[in-house]
Amino acid sequence: MGRVPVGELSRYLLGGRLSTNGCLTAFRRTPRSRLVGPAPPNLRPLRTFHASKEQPEPTHQQLQTPPAVPLRKKLKDEAKQARKQGKKKSNADSQTVEGWELTVGIEIHAQLNTPRKLFSSATTSFNDDPNSHVALFDVAMPGSQPILQTGTLIPALRAALSLNCNIQPVSRFDRKHYFWWDQPSGYQITQYYQPFAKNGHITLLARDGIAPEDGKSVTIGIKQVQMEQDTAKTLAHNDNTHWLDFNRVGAPLIEIITEPELHHPRTAAVLVRKIQLLLSTVDACVSGMETGGLRADVNVSVRRTDNPSQTLGTRTEIKNLSTIKAVEDAIIAERDRQIQELDAGRHISSETRGWSIGSTETRRLRGKEGEVDYRYMPDPDIAPLVIGSDLIAHLKQSLPVTPDTELDKLDSYFGLTPKDALSLINIDNGARVEYFYRVLYSVQDMIAADDLDGEGADVKTYAALVGNWTLHELGRLTTSKAGPHGTVDLTFTPDGDCAQVPDAELSQLLYHLYRKHITGKVAKELLMALYLGELEDGVRSAIDTHDLWFKEYSLAEYEALADEVLEGEDKVLQEFATSAKYPQGKLMFLLGKMMRAGQTERIDPANAEKVMRTRIESLRPSAV
Amino acid sequence: MGDFHGEGLSSLRHVCNGDVKAAIITLSTQVPQPISPPPVDHEKPFTLAVKDNIATAGLPTQCASRILSAHPSPFEATIVKQLRARGASVVGKTNMDEFGMGSHSVNSTHGPVRNPLSNDLSAGGSSGGSAVAVRVGDADLALGTDTGGSIRLPAAYTGIVGYKPSYGMLSRFGVVPYANSLDTVGLLAKKVQPMQSLIFDTGLSKEHDPNDPTSLSPSTRKRCEQAMPASLPDFPRITVGIPHEYNIAELDPIIRESWEVAISLLEEQGVRVVPVSLPSTKEALCAYYVLAPAEASSNLAKYDGVRYGVRNEGPDAVGETLYTETRGAGFGEEVKRRILLGTYSLSSEAIDNYFIQAQKVRRLIQRDFDRVFKLENPLHEPVQFDLSDMAETTDLEDKQGPVQVDFILCPTAPTFPPKLSEVKNQSSVDTYMNDVFTVPASLAGLPAVSIPSKTSDKDLPSGLQLIGQYWDDKRLLAMAEKLEALVAP
Repeated sequence: MGRVPVGELSRYLLGGRLSTNGCLTAFRRTPRSRLVGPAPPNLRPLRTFHASKEQPEPTHQQLQTPPAVPLRKKLKDEAKQARKQGKKKSNADSQTVEGWELTVGIEIHAQLNTPRKLFSSATTSFNDDPNSHVALFDVAMPGSQPILQTGTLIPALRAALSLNCNIQPVSRFDRKHYFWWDQPSGYQITQYYQPFAKNGHITLLARDGIAPEDGKSVTIGIKQVQMEQDTAKTLAHNDNTHWLDFNRVGAPLIEIITEPELHHPRTAAVLVRKIQLLLSTVDACVSGMETGGLRADVNVSVRRTDNPSQTLGTRTEIKNLSTIKAVEDAIIAERDRQIQELDAGRHISSETRGWSIGSTETRRLRGKEGEVDYRYMPDPDIAPLVIGSDLIAHLKQSLPVTPDTELDKLDSYFGLTPKDALSLINIDNGARVEYFYRVLYSVQDMIAADDLDGEGADVKTYAALVGNWTLHELGRLTTSKAGPHGTVDLTFTPDGDCAQVPDAELSQLLYHLYRKHITGKVAKELLMALYLGELEDGVRSAIDTHDLWFKEYSLAEYEALADEVLEGEDKVLQEFATSAKYPQGKLMFLLGKMMRAGQTERIDPANAEKVMRTRIESLRPSAV
Repeated sequence: MGDFHGEGLSSLRHVCNGDVKAAIITLSTQVPQPISPPPVDHEKPFTLAVKDNIATAGLPTQCASRILSAHPSPFEATIVKQLRARGASVVGKTNMDEFGMGSHSVNSTHGPVRNPLSNDLSAGGSSGGSAVAVRVGDADLALGTDTGGSIRLPAAYTGIVGYKPSYGMLSRFGVVPYANSLDTVGLLAKKVQPMQSLIFDTGLSKEHDPNDPTSLSPSTRKRCEQAMPASLPDFPRITVGIPHEYNIAELDPIIRESWEVAISLLEEQGVRVVPVSLPSTKEALCAYYVLAPAEASSNLAKYDGVRYGVRNEGPDAVGETLYTETRGAGFGEEVKRRILLGTYSLSSEAIDNYFIQAQKVRRLIQRDFDRVFKLENPLHEPVQFDLSDMAETTDLEDKQGPVQVDFILCPTAPTFPPKLSEVKNQSSVDTYMNDVFTVPASLAGLPAVSIPSKTSDKDLPSGLQLIGQYWDDKRLLAMAEKLEALVAP
C-alpha cells in the first residue's frame, strides 16, 4: 500500500545509522496537540457577559420584560450563549474586515530530528542535565571548528521535499552576527545568501479548516527553507544572573519562509498546523509547538481594497509565537491595530512586535532603528554544501505518504468520515493511525480466511467499523464514563503498539463483532474488560468461558419477549392506534425495554426491532 | 629557568616572573609534559617553540591578549600533536601580535618582541616570538601562523627561513583564528632542510585532519599530489618569474640589489629567469585589509568573558551593547581597530563596496598566479586565458602568450626591519605596507617561503620570497634549498 511507517524509514535509511530514539520517543509521549479552534473558558462571570461591549446582541438587549424563567435554566442558557459567542468571536467574523485586505507571511523555525548537532558531534537532547551535551565548538572554544554533521541533512531534505521545494545543488552557510549570551560565538550560522531549498508550496484544503473565504483550497508559496543553529537555553536565576544551558546550542533548526500570500488569520494558523503535521509525518522534526519544538514569526500588513494597484502596506513582524492559536489571535490583533492606526490617519512603522498568550493586543518590541545590522558573512570555515541528485531522488522516493494522500485514502477507500480520518491521523502523533492499520489488516486477514467462496467483503464495511472503534470506542475508555477505573491513559508506540488494548485482541473482538458472532453490547463490555486487564487469556477465551457467543433468539422467542414487554403497556400501545404520525419514540422505548428484558448476547437489535414493529403493527389501524 | 637566550629579546618569557621582554612567554619546563603519542618512523628529537595562538596541552594559550590571560585550552592543536609524535619537545609558547594582528610583534600584552640582530629593531610579526626563538637557538623549529605574511616577514627580519605551506595542508584545528580563509600554519627554522624533512619525509603533508573542515581530504591530497611533478628538474629546466609589479618605488635599494644578485646567481646556474606580470598585485593589500579584518571582527565576537577568558567586574549589560566593558578592556588597540574596520566593511551599507569587491579582487589575484605558473592549479578547472585580458606590458613568449614559470621570486619585505621606536610612530597604514609582498600568496592560498639572503649591508640580511603553484610545496622547498645555498648570508 506504499505507506511506510516512520520508524521503519529511519531504519533502512543510511543503513540505520540515523537514530530516532531520544528526542522522538520523548515527544511521542507528550499529550496530543491542541488544534486550532478556540475553546474559550465558558466559566466567564455572567455579569461581564451582560456588559459585554464587543458583542452587542440586540435580542438580549430587548429583554424589557423578562419572562419568568427559572434561575437554573437562565444560567444554563446564558452559559450556552456565552459559549456560542465565544466561538463566533475568533471564528468566521474575524477573518475579514470590510474594505481592507490583510497580507501575511510566516517564518517557521523547527528543531530537526537528528541525533547530533549541526556542526558538532555532541548529541541533541531534551531535559538532560544542563551542559551535559556540549562539544568544544558549541561553546566557541578558541581554535575549535565547525564540522557539518551530514546526518542532519536527511530530515532537513525530507522537510523541504514534503513542502515541494527545489533542492539546491549548491548552498552555503553564513554567519549572522549579534551579541547575546545564548549565542556563544557572537554569531549564528545560517543560510542567508544561498539556502538549500527554494520555491516550494503547500496546499491548504477546506477540511484543514481554512477560512471559508479561501474556498475549497488555497496554495501558499514557500520562498525558501534554510538550515541554522539553535541557541542556548537561558535559565533566569535571579534579577542579575542568568544561568546558561548549552545543551541546545548548535542543535539544527530549519527555518521555513512562506511567500506573503496568506490573507486570512485562520488560514495562517492552519498553515502552521499543517506544516507541523507534515514535518512530523516525514519524521523531520523533533516535536510540535506544544513542547517548544516549533516557533513561528508572522509578518503582517494591511491595505485598502478600493485600489487594487496599491502596493502592500508597511509590514510589522510579530516574533516567537508558540501556539497555533496565538498565530491566529496575534494576526487578528495586529491587523486590527494597523487598520485603526491607518483609519486615524497615522502611519505604520516597520517594527518588531511581541505577543503574549491570552493577550488581546500586540506590543512593540523595537523599531527599525533599533534593529541590529547582522553583517551576514559567508562562513570561511564551512565549504559549500553540495547535495547530490541521487540522494534527493532516494529521499523523494522513500518519503512517507503525506497526510493529504492518507486522508484521501481513509476517506474514499476505507469509507471513514473526513472528520474521523483527520482525527485518526492527528492524534498520538500518528501512532493511532498505525494502530488502526494494524487492527484493520488483522481483521481483513481473518475475514479473508473464512471467506472461502471468495466473494470478498467490501473493505468499507469493516474499515469504518475498525475506524469507529479505534477512535471513538477506545476514546470512551479513558473518559469519565469509564468510572474510577478509567484512569490509565492509552499509550501507543510510534509503530502503533498499544499496551492496554493490544491490536491483536481488538482485531479478534472486531472480527467477531463484524461476523455477528457477538453483539455490539457484548463487544463494548469485552473492550472495557480488556482495557481494565480483566481478560487474562484474551478475548476469544473470555467469550468461550462466559459463553458470550451470539445465539440469537428464534422468531418465537423474540415474539414471546415482545409480548412480555408489551404487557401492561396498553397506554403506550394506544398511541400507536391513535397517533397520526408514527410514534417512533414510543417504539424505541418499547424496544429498549425489550433489550433489557432479554439476554444481551442473544438479541440482535435490528431483528428485535423488526419483531416489535410487526407486533405493534397489528394493533395500529392500517394507514389510510 | 634554563638557558633561554631569547629571554632578553622577548622571544622567551616566563609567565610567572612578569618579565615582559622574552619571546617565549610560557616555558614548558614549568609544567609536566603530556605523554606523547607513539612516535612515527622518522623520529628525530627536536625542540619546538609554539606560537601562542596555537592550543597546547599544559600551557596557556593566550594569543598575547589580555582577554585570554592564562587561558588553559582544554585541548591541543592537531599540529602540535603531530609534531610531538615526530619527536618534538615543546619548549614554550612564543610572543606575538595580539591574535596575529600586526607586522612587528609589538601589539602584545606581554610587551614587544626585539630583534636579536639588533636590540632596537623590529623582529617582524606577527610570529615574531617564534622567529626569535629559532634565531637565538632556543628551539630547532618553531610553529607560526601566516595570515598575510606573519611567518615570512619575521623570518626575513631575523634572517631565518619561514615557510607558509599551501592553504589546507597543515591542520588549523586548535589554531585560534584571525582570518580563517587566510590563516595558515607554517614553520620557522634556520635552514630549509629540517622543515622539508619534517613535512615530506614524515608524511605530514599527507595527513588529513577530520577536525578541521578546511584540511584537504585524503582524496583531494592524492589528486593534488599526482598533479604535481615529484621532484625538481635540473637548473636549466627551471623557469623563475620576476613580477615587475613588485619592483616598487618604496623598495629599499639594498634589498633590490640582493634581489638582482639572486637573479644573476640563478642565471649563472642556468636557470631561466623571465619577467612576469601579476597586474592585480596593486589591489592585493587593499583587498587583504578588507577581508582579514572582516573575518577577524566575526571571529573575535566570541570573546565576551562568559565562558572563558578575562571578565570585567560588574554586569555584562553596562554600556550600549552587551559586553562593552569586558571587550573594551580585554582587547588591545590594533585588535579594536581591525574589529571596527571589519564591522564596517560587513555592514549592510558597506558590504557591496568593500567585502564583495575585495572577494572579487581575491579571485583576480588567484587568476594572475594561475596564468603565470606552468602548472595548473589542481583545485580549479583549467582556464583558457585570453591575451586581451592581460596587461599590455606583458611580454609574450610566442603566439601562445607569455612564458610560464615554475616559481616566482621577489623580496619578502620592501624594507629592512624598522626601529621599534619608529614603529611606535608609524601610522597603521604605514605598518600595513610591510605586507605588500606577502599578502598576494596568502590571498591565493599558495605556498611561499622566505629565505635569508646576504646583502651589501653587512649587518642585516634581506628576505627573498619564493612562491609556487598550489600544492607544489615539495618542489618549492627543494628550490628554496638550492637558492639558500647560493645566497645565504
